[in-house]
Amino acid sequence: MTELSRERISEAAPPAAWRLNRRQIQNLVSAAGFLAPGFLGMAIFLILPLAASLALSFTDFRIIGTTRFVGLKNFVTAFTIDPVFWQVLVNTVLYTVEYLALNIVISLGLAVAIANLKWGRRLFRLVFFLPTFAPLVGSSVVWLLIFTPGGFLDWLMDVLGLPLPNLITDPQWAMQCVVIVSLWAGFGYNLLLFGAALESIPQHYLDAAAIDGATSWQRFWKIKLPLISPSLFFGVVLTAITSLQVFDQVYALTRGGPGAATQTLGYKIYRDGFISYNFGYASSIAWILFVIIMALTVVQLRLQRKWVHYDA
Amino acid sequence: MSNHDKGFASHVRRGLMVATVLTAAGLAGAASAAPVTLTWGMWAGSDAEIAAWRHVADLVTAKYPDIKIDLQTSSWPDYWTKLPTLAASGQLPDIMSLQSLRTAGFTSLMVPLDDFVKRDNFDVKAFDDSIIGGLSQDGHLFALPYDFGPLIIYYNADMLKKDGVEPPKAGWTKADFVAAAKKLTHGSQYGFGIGGVDQVISWTASDGADYLKDGQLDLTNDALAKSFQSYVDLVAKDKVAPLLPSSGQQLGDLSRGGYAAGNIAMIVDGPWQLINLKNSVKFTIGLAPVPAGSKGSVTVTAGSGFGISQTSQHKEEAWKAIQVLTGPEAEQYLASQGRAFAARIDYQKYWYEAAAEGVENANEALDAALQQTRPYVTTANWNTVNNLFEQYEPLALAGKQSGAEVLSTISKLSAQQ
Repeated sequence: MTELSRERISEAAPPAAWRLNRRQIQNLVSAAGFLAPGFLGMAIFLILPLAASLALSFTDFRIIGTTRFVGLKNFVTAFTIDPVFWQVLVNTVLYTVEYLALNIVISLGLAVAIANLKWGRRLFRLVFFLPTFAPLVGSSVVWLLIFTPGGFLDWLMDVLGLPLPNLITDPQWAMQCVVIVSLWAGFGYNLLLFGAALESIPQHYLDAAAIDGATSWQRFWKIKLPLISPSLFFGVVLTAITSLQVFDQVYALTRGGPGAATQTLGYKIYRDGFISYNFGYASSIAWILFVIIMALTVVQLRLQRKWVHYDA
Repeated sequence: MSNHDKGFASHVRRGLMVATVLTAAGLAGAASAAPVTLTWGMWAGSDAEIAAWRHVADLVTAKYPDIKIDLQTSSWPDYWTKLPTLAASGQLPDIMSLQSLRTAGFTSLMVPLDDFVKRDNFDVKAFDDSIIGGLSQDGHLFALPYDFGPLIIYYNADMLKKDGVEPPKAGWTKADFVAAAKKLTHGSQYGFGIGGVDQVISWTASDGADYLKDGQLDLTNDALAKSFQSYVDLVAKDKVAPLLPSSGQQLGDLSRGGYAAGNIAMIVDGPWQLINLKNSVKFTIGLAPVPAGSKGSVTVTAGSGFGISQTSQHKEEAWKAIQVLTGPEAEQYLASQGRAFAARIDYQKYWYEAAAEGVENANEALDAALQQTRPYVTTANWNTVNNLFEQYEPLALAGKQSGAEVLSTISKLSAQQ
């Protein structure tokens, strides 16, 4: 066997860890050194709190008084005893479905419209992105003034003669307030994302299609949409995750009311933890939310094979 | 000796001198008490309130120069959200502020003051009995009170005069109240502003309806449901009070905002709000006892005080400090400012004389209310109950659910948590 072929063999089958040569050990040590600060930060600020909250979800931790291990009791309570849990879960899912659909349709529609403009593309993108800069809690206060009984929206409906009830005090409509504020604050990000993707489509694809007689409708469905599908997928997954976690708007706008009409899982975690001081139970709700988000994301990752094209 | 050596010697001498001075300073420090900075957690709703508390904190340092106070204020609801978080992270302030409605929920974080009181022969009798009771749990005192007071009606005297409504006096009934509110409601102006659980209880108590049974929450009894319905109907049926949403602001705060802005003629609040309202309104404030129901004009009394956290490293200094914070000088100041109807009986006159100056019927209203008031007794989960009212009461205000349905939901949810 020649020296050369022996080297090839060792390359094909890397040596076991205990047979590292000096150079490899040195590499390993320096790699560990470089990774340590990042890992330490992650351990302290991410893994540790996560583990702590998982541990808490099996206790009746209330800070005040003694803490006992209660096994799965919190989870059983959530699914079988808690009078609002199911309503809150349904609220969260309905909110996510509605907000996600509207967000993607509006941001994609506007992105396409803006991309077709002759001038002012940057200006419009900036204008629609602006709400993303504003802290949501602050802008929610302004929105509250619009929605409040006798406020701007009521006046507008009156002038237009539309028979809409006051949204924020009506349990059937209150969630629409949260959706409107979320859309206002949230679609600018996706607009920017989709806008950038549309810009990167090579112009000659579209020109060629136009010469072949494709209408602008066909060009959108057959060329633009498949080519921006990776960005679209990214936008859908991230928007779904953040909308399942919705909290700020609910906290500043309605505090879950009237009744439980706008209470979402994210707000319920806060309520049970910081208002009822039931941190163990709040942790278990947080983990239920975690599992839901995880499951949904896995499903989306699976489904992407059917509609996302990475081979542009 | 060369120049170089001389330089070295002078260095050493200077060094020794510095060391001597430092040691002397250290010894002097040990001889008197080392300066201590106490943290004090308190709620405050306005700059005027924060300034008042800072003034009182400075009184402590004036009396004990070695004790400095680090005042940390939060808004009222945030204070109660923050407290358990601070407890969990071992960062409770040395001096904790406690409200009588929340005594049951928080005394386990605090030191009973009984030993201090006994050792120093501290005169607890100088304070109003009911608030000492309100800040005690199982016979142990947990905080020295600075204020207390019954919930009363605040009215806009100018508005009443303009609409030809007689200023309410002790003995007025709910029928009188509704008639006045109807007369005061026109255009964008409302006769009354609704509140949360505190205001609800001052309304239902006058009808003889109880919210507790053997110390446990009892929200599902018929008398309470009936009285609560008549309260929410002020919005839902009579429309003499604006419909309010469940929002980031408490119902009572929204109504107080409307009152201060001159859009609402009457609200229910405590005497401790006079500091904020006197500074922010452009009309004459008037006070009256709550309108009488079938059981007379019965209102509830709440108050607050200062105690010592269990984790404090400076309990002795904190005990000294809370005596000053609730001492004669502080009480005179807080009462004069309209921040506190003094818990020290002898100092209530300053509220009457200074804070209530220019306020219509203030003394008569307070006197009458104090005669028919009872302590506002609560359960350990009162923070939950309070927030559930904020969240579910608007359903009844909007007429989407009956008062009884709302009470039943609140009852179920508060039992579960």
